Amino acid sequence: MIDLDMGRYAAFVWPAWALSAAVLAGLAARVVIAARRWSAELERLDAEPATVGDAQSPAAPEA
Amino acid sequence: MFLANPDRFLRFTRPVMPVVWVLAAVLLAVGVWLSFAAPEDYQQGDTVRIMFVHVPAASVGLMIYAALGVSSFFALVFRHPLADAAARAAALPGAAYTLLALVTGSLWGKPMWGAWWVWGDARLMSVLILFLFYLGYMALRASIDDETRAARAAAVLGLVGLINLPIVKFSVDWWNTLHQPASLLRANGPSVTPDLLAPLLTMMAAYGLFFLAVWITSIRTEIVRRRVLTLRARRAHEA
Repeated sequence: MIDLDMGRYAAFVWPAWALSAAVLAGLAARVVIAARRWSAELERLDAEPATVGDAQSPAAPEA
Repeated sequence: MFLANPDRFLRFTRPVMPVVWVLAAVLLAVGVWLSFAAPEDYQQGDTVRIMFVHVPAASVGLMIYAALGVSSFFALVFRHPLADAAARAAALPGAAYTLLALVTGSLWGKPMWGAWWVWGDARLMSVLILFLFYLGYMALRASIDDETRAARAAAVLGLVGLINLPIVKFSVDWWNTLHQPASLLRANGPSVTPDLLAPLLTMMAAYGLFFLAVWITSIRTEIVRRRVLTLRARRAHEA
């Protein structure tokens, strides 16, 4: 049976778990968003005619 | 060596990556359930549940630096771009895990030791230095525009930081510290009771697999990013 009553230690246990969940979720979101952005950018460049200059594309994703 | 080729790495990891993400998510869910189903510790009460997020973050954070250091070695000696991508991709999750270890350790330390932080404590200080190495690595890479120079400088820093790993590991044996000694990797076997050992090991595996998923995804992204930069440069040259 799961016990969610942390009693007098709730102020220490829950922040530790909440912060851990937030950091892991943030890490996952960051890498997945970056992967999608850079893949989309590569597809866009591959689809473009080779003679078009694109060194300063404003839509380019950040590292 | 098979995966040292970026194309092969992309082909091999494409089907592997979703499996690792799903396994990490399942293990995390099981680990969370086990962590709150476990009985409270007879001495530490419910604060022992902080152990299930603190120890995995600390131990995997340490292992990530080992991965960063070994990758830096291959990047520096063999000038291998994939090794550099691997080192770069390990830095942010390593810093995040180590920060979690520091903060959750502090949240555990206050009710158990009566202090959020103890300056001069060997384990706490060596982990803080590990975190600073991660920050330094990322800051150094970001501060040099030339990516080749940035990679070489960061690889040297990454290698130097390896010296800190045995200091973190053995600090509890070599110096006086409030931190408890090793309770898993001991000559006489783990000192943690089986009720608490199961969730702890599950969470450690989950944190390890989660890092692996993040790492593989980031290395793939880094390969794609470099291709984009090369294509942009080529197009700009042609225009």
